[in-house]
Amino acid sequence: MSALEQANVLGGRALREAWRTPEALAPTIFIPVFFLIVNFGQAGKIFPSDSTDFLYGQTYAAFQLPISLLLAASFGTAALYLVEEIEGGYFDKLRAAPVARTALVSGRLLAEGAKSVVITAILVAIALPLGVSIASGLAGFLLLLLLTSLWAVVFSGFMQLIALKTRSAAATNSGGLIFFPLLFLTPNFVPRELLTRPMEIAATLNPVTYVMEAMRALILQDLSWTPVIRGFGVVAVLGVLMVTLNVRVIRAYD
Amino acid sequence: MRHRGSGRRCGVAAAESGLSESGVRVPVMRLAVEAEQLAKQYRGRGGTVDAVRGVDLSVGAGEVFGFLGPNGAGKSTTVRMLTTLLTITSGTATVAGVDVATDPDGVRRRIGVALQEAGLDARQSGRELLILQARLFGMSAAQARIRAEELLELVDLVDAADRRIKGYSGGMKRRLDLASALVHEPDVLFLDEPTTGLDPASRLTVWDELRRINARGTTIFLTTQYLEEADQLCHRVAIIDGGLIVREGTPDELKAELRDRRGLDAEPTLDEVFLDATGRTRERRAGEVQEVSG
Repeated sequence: MSALEQANVLGGRALREAWRTPEALAPTIFIPVFFLIVNFGQAGKIFPSDSTDFLYGQTYAAFQLPISLLLAASFGTAALYLVEEIEGGYFDKLRAAPVARTALVSGRLLAEGAKSVVITAILVAIALPLGVSIASGLAGFLLLLLLTSLWAVVFSGFMQLIALKTRSAAATNSGGLIFFPLLFLTPNFVPRELLTRPMEIAATLNPVTYVMEAMRALILQDLSWTPVIRGFGVVAVLGVLMVTLNVRVIRAYD
Repeated sequence: MRHRGSGRRCGVAAAESGLSESGVRVPVMRLAVEAEQLAKQYRGRGGTVDAVRGVDLSVGAGEVFGFLGPNGAGKSTTVRMLTTLLTITSGTATVAGVDVATDPDGVRRRIGVALQEAGLDARQSGRELLILQARLFGMSAAQARIRAEELLELVDLVDAADRRIKGYSGGMKRRLDLASALVHEPDVLFLDEPTTGLDPASRLTVWDELRRINARGTTIFLTTQYLEEADQLCHRVAIIDGGLIVREGTPDELKAELRDRRGLDAEPTLDEVFLDATGRTRERRAGEVQEVSG
């Protein structure tokens, strides 16, 4: 069995695990929807669609949707399941089997990617009544699903790295909080050019900015390749980095 | 039989014969597990800890080999090195004829592992867990389903097969863990304290399973704190203390040696051999004969 097939088998198990713990899945939808509604409710009137250029004729909810999508893709519950497995001994059982080390780390990441596709589609559907549409059409929607899913893989890879290094649920949970500063050091309320200079510099240095801008481009405009390619470039580089680091850590795992 | 520092290997249970260079038929030992000067050193903030300090082991194919020792003696560390879960600091080890350090995947294909605390995924059903394990060992989906059914029958879990594992009793989990270690019919089965925490009835059930598995030709490498268990199940035992093997031989050999050395009238128990080998006494550990901590 190839490493890819092994990753697929392990990914299927991780998906079953997620499906069987709806109490862990529910917040990944509820909290992003909560932020979408609250942010839209608070700032919707400040940025009316007919007089705000950066909304391209859509409501402010469309501008806010990428934040909710990124938030949903950055819960990293898979890493907590991994810690449970490490503590319970099942991870050792898998390590003692002739499973490719890359498959051991990528199985869960594949599952996170697949889960994110479904959650993203649900969140987009929930946003439609708030005056949101995907201006780039079906192709843009598919790209949005792919981009969000790849971000989920990147973030889960980061969380999994903490889980493998610390083997502690508390440390892994705390590590996940690093995402919040990264989310707020972005043009999350207005485009980058409207930020104050220090915030603009911080946002420019923050890779999450480019993923968010790519999502925004797909939601608000006709297919505009430059921000989209930049967003995919960022997740590709971070994805390769995370998988490489995960494999290195698991190979040296004692 | 081997004593502290003697360095002499005792004979293994399984032996075949072969031709020497001169054409004379000589016995050839078929070893399931062999370790030479196996050592594990942990480096931490508090300094260096020598968990295993040069262990020599020879376990013959088809044996049930008991690996005994007090808490912290190095039993689990040794097993984890032999099962590729821990890197080896120094020394060499082969399992089923495959070098642990240079071909860990080759070892993994030939061993079954059931470690302390049944390592199971509680959110899956028993059947799902076995199918997954079989798939990871390269079986097709159809083959894996058939193998899972066979194993569920073997460990008497057919009725509970489609229930989530989190609802299983301790004994059921142990039996399932055993079944998952057997999915690919391993040459060597490593069991790390397989009956710890089980009630007496469940323990006896696991013993019966182990006898059946061994009767099929599988070598069993067993660590246990229960000396009665070792006495009942093992062809040979080794006692490790402070990271070194301090006794090795059949239970009967070890008892006879202690009786002769101490000039005892009655044959000692394996408990007494253990206490003698690890430098502990009943007086020091009154009421804790079965589970001695260092």
